[in-house]
Amino acid sequence: MKPLVRLLAVALASLAVAAPALASKDVVFAVASTFTTTDPYDANDTLSQAMAKSFYEGLFGFDRNMKLIPVLAEGYTASPDGLVYTIKLRHGVKFQDGTDFNAEAVKVNFDRVTNPDNKLKRYGLYKIIAKTEAVDDFTVRVTLKEPFSAFINDLAHPSGVMISPAALAKWGSKDIAFHPVGTGPFKFVEWRQPDYLKVEKWDGYWKKGYPKVDSITWKPVVDNNSRAALMQTGEAQFTFPVPYELAQVLKAKPDLELVAAPSIVLRYLSMNTLQKPFDDVRVREAIAYAINKEALAKVAFSGYAVPADGVVPDAVEYSVKLGPWPYDVAKAKKLLTEAGYPNGFETELWSAYNYSTAQKVAQFLQQQLQQVGIRTRITMLEAGQRVQKVESWPDPKTAPVRLYYVGWSSSTGEADWALRPLLASESWPPVLFNTAYYRNDQVDADIKGALATTDKVEKAKLYRDAQERIWKDAPWAPLVTEELLSAHNRRLTGVYVMPDASFNFTDIDLR
Amino acid sequence: MTQYVLKRLAGLVPTLFAIGVLVFLFVHLLPGDPARLAAGPDATPETVALVRKDLGLDRPIAQQFVRFADGALHWNFGRSLSTKRAVAEEIAERFMPTFWLTVWSMAWSVVFGMAIGIASAVWRNRWPDRLGMTLAVSGISFPAFALGMVLMQVFAVDLGWVPAVGNDSWRGYVLPSLTLGAAVAAIMARFTRSSFVDILGEDFVRTARAKGLDERRVVIKHAMRNALIPVVTMMGLQFGFLLGGSIVVEKVFNWPGLGRLLVDAVDMRDYPVIQALVLLFSLEFIVINLAVDVLYGLINPAIRYR
Amino acid sequence: MGSSILRSATDDAASGERVRTPWSEFSRKFRRQKVAVAAGVFVVLLVVVAVAAPWIVPYNAETYFDYDALNAPPSLAHLFGVDSLGRDIFSRILMGARISLAAGFISVAAGAVIGTLLGLVAGYYEGWADRIVMRICDVLFAFPGILLAIGIVAILGGGMANVIAAVAIFSVPTFARLVRGNTLGLKHLTFVEAARSLGASDRTIVLRHILPGTISAVVVYFSLRIGTSIITAASLSFLGMGAQPPTPEWGAMLDAARSDMLVAPHEAIFPALAIFLTVLAFNLLGDGLRDALDPKIERV
Repeated sequence: MKPLVRLLAVALASLAVAAPALASKDVVFAVASTFTTTDPYDANDTLSQAMAKSFYEGLFGFDRNMKLIPVLAEGYTASPDGLVYTIKLRHGVKFQDGTDFNAEAVKVNFDRVTNPDNKLKRYGLYKIIAKTEAVDDFTVRVTLKEPFSAFINDLAHPSGVMISPAALAKWGSKDIAFHPVGTGPFKFVEWRQPDYLKVEKWDGYWKKGYPKVDSITWKPVVDNNSRAALMQTGEAQFTFPVPYELAQVLKAKPDLELVAAPSIVLRYLSMNTLQKPFDDVRVREAIAYAINKEALAKVAFSGYAVPADGVVPDAVEYSVKLGPWPYDVAKAKKLLTEAGYPNGFETELWSAYNYSTAQKVAQFLQQQLQQVGIRTRITMLEAGQRVQKVESWPDPKTAPVRLYYVGWSSSTGEADWALRPLLASESWPPVLFNTAYYRNDQVDADIKGALATTDKVEKAKLYRDAQERIWKDAPWAPLVTEELLSAHNRRLTGVYVMPDASFNFTDIDLR
Repeated sequence: MTQYVLKRLAGLVPTLFAIGVLVFLFVHLLPGDPARLAAGPDATPETVALVRKDLGLDRPIAQQFVRFADGALHWNFGRSLSTKRAVAEEIAERFMPTFWLTVWSMAWSVVFGMAIGIASAVWRNRWPDRLGMTLAVSGISFPAFALGMVLMQVFAVDLGWVPAVGNDSWRGYVLPSLTLGAAVAAIMARFTRSSFVDILGEDFVRTARAKGLDERRVVIKHAMRNALIPVVTMMGLQFGFLLGGSIVVEKVFNWPGLGRLLVDAVDMRDYPVIQALVLLFSLEFIVINLAVDVLYGLINPAIRYR
Repeated sequence: MGSSILRSATDDAASGERVRTPWSEFSRKFRRQKVAVAAGVFVVLLVVVAVAAPWIVPYNAETYFDYDALNAPPSLAHLFGVDSLGRDIFSRILMGARISLAAGFISVAAGAVIGTLLGLVAGYYEGWADRIVMRICDVLFAFPGILLAIGIVAILGGGMANVIAAVAIFSVPTFARLVRGNTLGLKHLTFVEAARSLGASDRTIVLRHILPGTISAVVVYFSLRIGTSIITAASLSFLGMGAQPPTPEWGAMLDAARSDMLVAPHEAIFPALAIFLTVLAFNLLGDGLRDALDPKIERV
C-alpha cells in the first residue's frame, strides 16, 4: 500500500509541478509577509525594498557581502569639506517605458523624496540633501546641508532607486506605487495584494544577457511552517526566511539546498540605565555575564547564530571586534552582591517581537537570569504595544521599559546607522531607539565627529573609541548575530540573501 | 410577521451606527500609533509627523469621526493606512476567496454532517450512531489550527496530493475547506441527529408509521421536511461565522481572505480597514440573525413577535 | 454552537408522568450512559490533577531546564519528553490543566451568568429591553473576536486573566439568546400566567418559575461551551494573543511546538492530546447531561 501511495503521489506531484516549469523559466519566491508598497522611497520594510529591486535600481548598491558598488553610477567624488558630491552616471541606460536615464532623472527622484510635501517614509534618509543639479547629461552634483560622510551609503540603501520621471509625471507621486517603472531587469506585471506580485523579463535591460529567467512571482506566505511546506512540495523555488527549527528537515531534502548567510542583524538585551537597579554598571555587567550566548545560539537559533563580538556586527563598515562577552555565573553573582543585590531582584523582561524564535529567546533569558537570582516577568510585545510602551513613550524618566530584547539591522552597512539611532543620547525614545536611555558624552562626540569627516582613518578611530566605551559601559548585553537561513531548489542558482536580509538576484537562473 | 421584519430592518440602522461609533472609539483606544507603525522601525520623528499628516491622523478626533461617518454613509471607507489603496477595493479583493472557501466548506460539511446525523438518528444507539457521533464529537474537540497543520503535513508535504497553499485551482481548496468544515460538519451531524430524534418521536411520524408506510418513506418524506428547519437555521449561523473569515485557517493556509486582512490591519493599526471590516461583519451577522429569528417563528408558533 | 438553542423548554415543564424527584430521575438516566459517566470521571480526575498539580509535578514547569536534553523524546525520567527549551513536558501538561480548566470554567461561568440575566430580562419583558439586549448581542456576535481580544489585552494588559475575560465575552451573547428563546416559550405557559394572575411580582415569576425552566438548557450548554472556550483560548495563544510565556497553557505549548513538530513530534502531540481529550470529555459529559435532562428521550 505505502509504496503505491508514494508512487501515485510522485506521479501527481510531478504532473502538477514540473509541467509549467519546463515551458518557460518561471520562478516563485516564497517570502514572509505581504508587500506594503512597490515604491522603495515609501517603504519601511526590507522585504518590499528587496522585491522592488526586480524593477528598480539605484545609483549605488551593495554586493553580496555588503560592499558598496556602483550600479547606475560609474563613480563619485566628494569635495574636501564633505558638502558636495559629484556623481558620474552610466551611459546607455533606459527606463522600461523608453525614457532615457540621465542626470535630469536623478534630479527628479531626489527632488521628489526631499520635498516634505510628498510625505515619503524615507524622507529622513535623504533630508540631508540641500539641492541636486544636473551638471551635464551624465553628471549630477548633490549639495548637502551639512557634512554627512555616510551619504553614499544612503544612496546605496535599497530605498534609493531611480524611478522613470515620465512615469512619475504620468501617475503622480502616490500612484506610482501601483505602476512602477524603473531600469531594472524585470518589468512589473501584476500585483494581487494578498496573493502575489508578478514581474517578467524586460528585453531592454542595459546589462546584456540578463535576466536569465522569464518571470518571478513573489508570493507572501506568512506562516513559517506553510512557507517551508511550499518548498518541499515544489510550489516555490526560493524561500526566506527558513525557520531555524526546520533547517534540519529542509537540509535532508535532496532537491533543496539550505544556505546560512552572515547578517548585520544584532540581537541584544537593552537595559534602562535611568532606572534602578540598571543605573549601576555592575548590575548591567552581571546580566551580560549571566547569559550563555553559545547556549542561546543552540537553543533558540538551532545553532544558526554566533555570539555577538561587539556592539556593531562584523559585516558593517567600521565595526570593532571586542568580545564576545564571557559567560561567567560566579562573576555575575559577585557583581550583583557588590552592587547590593546578593539575592537578585525582580524585573520586567519585554520582547520587541512575538514570533516563535523571540519567544524562545525570551524564555531562555529568563532561565539564565534566574540562575543568578534575577526573576523576570516576560511580556511579548505585539507591534502596537511596542510602539506605545517603548518606541513612542514621551517621557524618558517614566519609561516603563526595563530589560528589552530587540534586534537591529544596520541597513546602510555603515557604523553611523548602527550606533547613532541606538546609543546616541539624542536618540532616546520617542526620537529613535536608544531604549537603554544610554548617555555618554564622549560617545556622542565621537558619533558626531565621525559624520563630519570624510577622512576614513579619522572615522575609523572615532568609531573605535565609541564602540570601546559602549562595550565598557554595557548599556546592553550583546547576545548574538543571527545567520540568515534561506532555502532554494537545486535547479535555481544566483539568488542570495544579503547581510541586511535583502536579496541579490541579478544572476538568477533556473536549470 | 412582515411588520416584524420591517421593524427589524429599520432597527438595523441604529445598530450599525452604534457599531460604527463603537469600532471607531475602539480602534482609537488601541495602543500603538499607526503613523509610527506605518513609518517603520527606523523612522525619524519628522518622518513620523509627515506620515501622520499624510494619513490624516493629525486632525482632532471628532473631525476624524465625522469624516469616517460621512464616508461610511456614502459607502466610502477611505484608504488603507498601510497600502494606501481604497478600503473598498481592498475588501472586495479579499471577499471572494473567503466567500468561496466558506461555500465549499459549508457544502461538504453540510452534506456529510447531515448524512451522518440522519444515519445516527435512524440507527439510534447502534453502531452507525456510535461511529458517527464519535466522529462528530472528535470534530469539535480538535483545534482547527492543529488539524490544518496535520493535514498540510500529510497530504501536501508527505504525499504531495494537493498544494500546501494557493487558491488558483480547486485542489488548493481541498485542505483549507476540510479544516474549516470539520467543526461545522461535526456540529451539523450532532444537530441533525438531535433534531431527527425529536421528530421521529412526534405524533405525525408515528401516525405515518402506523399507516404502514415503510421506514425509508417515513424518514425522507415526513421527518426530513420538519427536521430540516432548525438544521437550516443552524446552517445560517455557521455560514455567518465562517463568512467573517476564519482567521486561524486563513493563517495556516495563507488564504488571501478577510480573516487575514483583519489580522494584518489590526497589527498595523490600519483604522479604516478595521472599521470597514467590522461594519461588514456586523451587517452579515445582523442579516443572518434576523433570518434566524424569523425561522424561530416558523418552528415554534408559540413565540409571538411584537 | 450548542444544539439546544432551538429546543423550546415547553416539554421540560410538561413532563410529569412519573412521580420522582428531578434529581433521582436525572441521576438514574445519567448513570445509564456509560460514556458520559466515563467522561465525567475523567473531568473529575482532571480537576483533581489541576488542583494537586503543584505538589505532584516531577519538575518545576517553568523554571526547570536541561539544555543537554533539548527535544529529548519520552523516557522514564521525562514521561512526555523534553521541549525545545529543555523543560519537562509532563510537568508542563499537568500545570497546564490548571490553566486550561480555569480558563474554560471561569470564562464560561462569567459568560453564563451575565448571558442568562440578559436573556431573562430580554425574554420576559420583550419590548425595548429585548431590543436593547438583542442589539448588544448582535454587536458582540458581530465584533470579531480577535479584535475584542486585542482590545482587552490592550486595555487590561497581557496575560491569562485577559484571555479569560475575552472568552467570557464571547460566551455572553450565546447564553443570552438561548435563555431568551426559552423564556419566550415559557412565559406564555399556563403556570406562569397563573402565577401572574395571582399577583406574583416580576421578580418572583422570573426567578421562581422561568429560571428553573431554563436551567437545564444552560447546564447542558455550559458543559459543551467549556470545550469551545478551551479551544478558543488555545487559538488565541496560537495567534500570539494568549498566555505569556513561559505559562504552560496547552494552546501556547502547541503553538510553540509547531516549529519543532517535524524534529520532535512529541512536543506537539502531548499538548494536542491534552486539549483533545479534555474538550472531548466535556463534550461527552455535556451530551450525557442533555440526554439525562431532556425528558423527551424516554418517549422514543
